[in-house]
Amino acid sequence: MGIIEEVFAIDLPVGEQFRIQRCRYTPIGGKTEKRISIVSGIHGDELEGQYVCFLLGQWLRANPDKIKATIDIYPAINSLGIDSITRSVPFYDVDLNRIFPGSKNDFLPAQIADGVVNAMKGSEIAIDIHSSNVFLREIPQVRIAKSQEAVLVPLANKLNIDFVWVHDAVTVLESTFAHAMNTLGTKTLVVEMGVGMRLGQAYGHQLLDGILHLMASEGFLAIEPPKIRFPIQSHVGEVAYLNATSPGLFVPAIEHCQMIEEGSVVGHIVDPLSGKTLDEIIAPIGGILFTLRAYPIVYEGSLVGRIFGENR
Amino acid sequence: MRRFEILNLKSPNRAPLKVEGFLFAEDQKGPSIAIVGAMSGDNVNQLYVASHLVEYLRQKEEEGKISGKILVIPAVNTYALNMGEKFWPLDKTDINMMFPGYKEGETTQRIAAVLFEALQGYDYGIILEGRRDQGMCLPYVKIIQSGYEDLDAAKEFGMRFIHYRPYSPIETVMLQYNWQLWGTKAMSVVFGKNGTIDPNTSDEVQGALVRFMAKRGILGLAVFDGYESNIIEPEHINILKASCAGIFESAVACGTHIYKGETLGRITDALSGKKIEKIVAPCDGVITCQYSHPLIFQNSIAFRIASTD
Repeated sequence: MGIIEEVFAIDLPVGEQFRIQRCRYTPIGGKTEKRISIVSGIHGDELEGQYVCFLLGQWLRANPDKIKATIDIYPAINSLGIDSITRSVPFYDVDLNRIFPGSKNDFLPAQIADGVVNAMKGSEIAIDIHSSNVFLREIPQVRIAKSQEAVLVPLANKLNIDFVWVHDAVTVLESTFAHAMNTLGTKTLVVEMGVGMRLGQAYGHQLLDGILHLMASEGFLAIEPPKIRFPIQSHVGEVAYLNATSPGLFVPAIEHCQMIEEGSVVGHIVDPLSGKTLDEIIAPIGGILFTLRAYPIVYEGSLVGRIFGENR
Repeated sequence: MRRFEILNLKSPNRAPLKVEGFLFAEDQKGPSIAIVGAMSGDNVNQLYVASHLVEYLRQKEEEGKISGKILVIPAVNTYALNMGEKFWPLDKTDINMMFPGYKEGETTQRIAAVLFEALQGYDYGIILEGRRDQGMCLPYVKIIQSGYEDLDAAKEFGMRFIHYRPYSPIETVMLQYNWQLWGTKAMSVVFGKNGTIDPNTSDEVQGALVRFMAKRGILGLAVFDGYESNIIEPEHINILKASCAGIFESAVACGTHIYKGETLGRITDALSGKKIEKIVAPCDGVITCQYSHPLIFQNSIAFRIASTD
């Protein structure tokens, strides 16, 4: 049975508290310094991680004798946002994942970030589960800054995801939870999967298997690691971005996560007022359509898809 | 004066987004300056100052008082201003987090790219900024240490304070940092309370902008000197937090000299009405910023005090 603990609380102005809770599972009859943190809800409109937290908690409750180290589950960091369909920290309109490591001497979002870091500091591993936003649907993937590639890619390969995307270092991403935790020595993986404001049960179960596999192979669980798939590695190919060239309504022509040939039609942008088709989105390369727009309204530049194609 | 369109972006259903610029004395050879107003939808005070400046400069141009090219862009994110949003209304991204922009990228990256292109080649660049928190402040010049900043130029505003500090990672995608890197002496004037207009503050900022342009040879005007600016680095700011949440009432205005032990504000329990906290100055100094919403969170920063202690 996990123990529910409050790790951060601040009084709100009118008879309520903002709080961050975790459920902590520990080995039966034994103390351990070894710890892993499973995190979701840094963005209030991303709910896939909540389901994974539930599935993991359900598994741990059923298998307490298999727990070899401390397992902390934080389903809702931006709890105000999650309960109000708000991506950012309500009231302040600040993206929590651009304010890490935070500070006790700054405004509320920075204090929340500081509280999160202090709660998780000392974890050996953290898994930060994001959905995409409400606009895009993503296959389960881990995104890793190039500077962390050597440490994190082997870990990401254990997560039963479909794609490991190593990207160039971007200074602005130094304000993320993952960067803050990696800097502190906690190996932190960022999972993106599904779409904002929705729940994809299959992805949830897929990632649960991955987390169990990772925890088994890293010594957090005494189980035979479940069988997993090996993800596509971004270094073996290239990512093509598909951006809308006209404003309108994007109507996809194919399903998400399909193999697609170069030159084939990904979708159309149409004008509901005139009845005209404004643009046809064509795949510039062949490969897997790993990102597909879920929210149909687009402006010029809106991302409608991403294709990963292997180098020939 | 030439009023022109910098950007015209079609929308799926709304009228197009138009970003307009007002160009003065474009043939003059003196130092040039570009001034950017509201980049987000709550920068109403910034819009107010910029649009008043346009009218002021129109008159000065007629009087032949402008000796360097001046561009004023009163509003960038008019879509947000027109619907009470803060950021880009569809995807809630902040245009001032998209610089230097990318013409092949997402919508706000494209907007930033076109805007950034229009802002190239000016000697000075001024960004009229609102606050990023729930505060209001004494107007000040914000200049970040990118390695390309010009602190001497910042002093020409004659404002009481210049906040001079290292940049944070998120500022590397903001306009000031990128504008500096691309060779314009860029700085921000931060002022006001988001979503409101304060006539006194606006007057002070407009006066500072005019003073800057006069001192730098862009306007041919005699002006009164302003303050000898105090350079404030982070260690000079004393942060005073509210230990309780509730209804917040301030007893002082920004800019007030305060003394150790003075009562600066009170917090009342929002339901029982009980007075639960008296916020007392821990030192002598000047109130530079204060919390501006009537409801305050526990541990929120109630006051920032510039202090020499």
